[in-house]
Amino acid sequence: MANVLLARMGEVTLKGLNRGSFEIQLKSNLKYRLKRFGNLKIYQSQSRIWIEPKEEDNPNFRSMADAEAIMKAVCQVFGIVSVSLARKFEGDFESIKENAVECVRELLGQNPEYTTFKVESKRGNKTFPMTSPVICDELGGHILDTFPELKVKVKNPDFILNVEIRESNYVYSGKMMAHRGLPVGTCAKGMLLLSGGIDSPVAGFMMASRGMPLDAVYFHSYPYTSDLAKQKVIDLAKIVSGYSGRMTLHVVNFTQIQLDLYKHSPQDMLTVTMRRVMLQIAERLALKNDCKCLITGESLGQVASQTMEAIAATNEVVKMPILRPLIGLDKQATCDISRDIGAFETSILPYEDCCTVFVAKHPKTHPHPEDIIEAEKDLDIEELVEAGVLGTEDIVIDPF
Amino acid sequence: MIYFDNSATTFVSEGVRNRIQELTADEFSANPGALHKLGLKAFEIYDGIRKDTASLLGAKPEEIFFTSCATESANTAIKGYMSRNKRAGNAVISTRTEHKATLECLDYLAKAGYEIRYVKVGPDGKPLIESLEEELGKGSVALACFTLVNNETGSVLPFESIRKTIKAVSPETCIYLDCVQALGKMQVNMSSLGADMCSFSGHKIHSIKGNGVLYVRKGVRIDPLILGGGQQDNMRSGTQSPVLAGAFLEALKEVSEGIEEARVKVAEINSYLRRELAARDALILSPEDALPYVLNVSFKGFESETMLHCLEIYDIYVSTVSACSAKQKKVSYVLLEMGTDRKIAANAVRLSFSRNNTMAEAEEFIRRVDEIYEQFLIK
Repeated sequence: MANVLLARMGEVTLKGLNRGSFEIQLKSNLKYRLKRFGNLKIYQSQSRIWIEPKEEDNPNFRSMADAEAIMKAVCQVFGIVSVSLARKFEGDFESIKENAVECVRELLGQNPEYTTFKVESKRGNKTFPMTSPVICDELGGHILDTFPELKVKVKNPDFILNVEIRESNYVYSGKMMAHRGLPVGTCAKGMLLLSGGIDSPVAGFMMASRGMPLDAVYFHSYPYTSDLAKQKVIDLAKIVSGYSGRMTLHVVNFTQIQLDLYKHSPQDMLTVTMRRVMLQIAERLALKNDCKCLITGESLGQVASQTMEAIAATNEVVKMPILRPLIGLDKQATCDISRDIGAFETSILPYEDCCTVFVAKHPKTHPHPEDIIEAEKDLDIEELVEAGVLGTEDIVIDPF
Repeated sequence: MIYFDNSATTFVSEGVRNRIQELTADEFSANPGALHKLGLKAFEIYDGIRKDTASLLGAKPEEIFFTSCATESANTAIKGYMSRNKRAGNAVISTRTEHKATLECLDYLAKAGYEIRYVKVGPDGKPLIESLEEELGKGSVALACFTLVNNETGSVLPFESIRKTIKAVSPETCIYLDCVQALGKMQVNMSSLGADMCSFSGHKIHSIKGNGVLYVRKGVRIDPLILGGGQQDNMRSGTQSPVLAGAFLEALKEVSEGIEEARVKVAEINSYLRRELAARDALILSPEDALPYVLNVSFKGFESETMLHCLEIYDIYVSTVSACSAKQKKVSYVLLEMGTDRKIAANAVRLSFSRNNTMAEAEEFIRRVDEIYEQFLIK
């Protein structure tokens, strides 16, 4: 008997002729993400991916509790729907009974409150002499005999004992849900505008879930914002990279640019002119780093710079598509995702990312095109953008 | 580097470093509670340190307890006194300008049903005697908690008149005094001061972090905060550390010498900075008669943290009021309680000196402030 992981694929299996390339990417992502858990064999059969330790007694597979870390890591890989720790063994129905009892014993050890169960079985190996309903009946009876405190319940039992009979036999119970999506690397790279807030890490997560690898850009205004604020963004980038894979964080030294904007642009237009410059810098960095789009955490109407007019005013300065996965999302929904991906606690740390001294008390919420022309007439935008691109520090962010 | 953040913590002195080295030798490293002769040797050295510490503080050895920090000392004193002396009543008086170590203990007591009365302070940070009398008049008071030198402004408590006022109305009231910022900067002598319990911190006087002292006058009974093997007369369990106690004593010895000369030197730096800063766009928030070691300044046009980071560019280190609360992004509660305008308080920066600072550093500081105004002020 050996413990193995059974990971289920989702949307990837709906692909047509190109399905193979998605599967190869998914396995390669799993291999990269799981290399710290020892020497593993990762292979696929139908819509499942099996992960087995090559060496005997890999500590990450010993028990359900020991496997939690590796299962969580599997769940961070987009393209996976869920994962279970299964007992893999050979032999006849007797061995299935033995392993089923052991599996239930371990499960009850961890969850002593469980009192009801049912058995589900799949028989891929049609040469096995018993049919699926017979297996369920017989095995259920055996479990009831061994654990008299348990009862069978077909609707909403406390746990389901799964048996699969394929080239080998598998017994498992329970599964950890993953984030679905498509394997990262199956589409072109995007440049995420990352701040220290709640929205932008979620936006990055959402695009990565569609298979997009990421780079990120952050605008740093030291000494108006502290190095703690920068560290917070690095920490957030690391959290996002847990899903998207390794990324480069481009930290733009924005102080002088912001001072110039402040000096030469009307107060109420500052947010718009600032965002226009930011997007242009981000686009140039994106082109330099082989990114095909920009990604922002904008949500319509959330703040002054996210009204339709302000979005139109910032959108027109770049040629690249700007993806805004949160545009129609309620703030609460964004917060829920942020919590789910483990970013929320970091996002709400108090270090500010955009110094309040640069923010006008009453920014123009509905800027007209002529306002923008007027606001930028004393500014050498090209010079500011180029200065931003040149004054960039690159930090490589690894997920672990 | 210019280090004007000595009220947050100080650099470890050469003498303390050497003393720590000596005391980590094998011969002093046995458990001072052990029965063998090596243990006895460790105990002897520890006991000697306790006696010398007591003597320098003007106290009896049995009145001195080594703790991990002044926060532990404050917790032990305040909670320990109220828990032990139930018959003294359930009222405590204090001010809202105390250090968080005191205020959080008082909040804890309030939640446990104790009555906490806060005395108002004036614009100079000193408790108002009329307000003190009024609070005392509301009924018997078990414990009074004050600070000898405020950590944010340097405001010095007129302790003698406070003590007299309290004792005149309520002679039984126990007085706890936070002496952390006063130690080594003014005469602090337990026999003449007249406080019943006092807390001290090692790292504010050039010792390392992790050592503090609690003074409890003989006859005052308190419950211990930390229970265990009954070390330090059952008052503070946990294996005694000759190294940490020795580090505290060495630092105390050093700062106890030449207190007056050091004060004069720091006062010159302080008045130079007051003069120069007042001539610029800065408001001095420390009272005129504050201890010169602390200078609280509000820089017009710069939020506290922005000024802190601007100075950091030039390798100059200061605090946004109180390092402990800097991460909470709040305006100083001490300044607000003194009646300082919120906008002015939001720009407050605390400069805090040690006797090692020089006039040349102060001059450099002023030059850098000018450069910062030139380069970073947003008009």
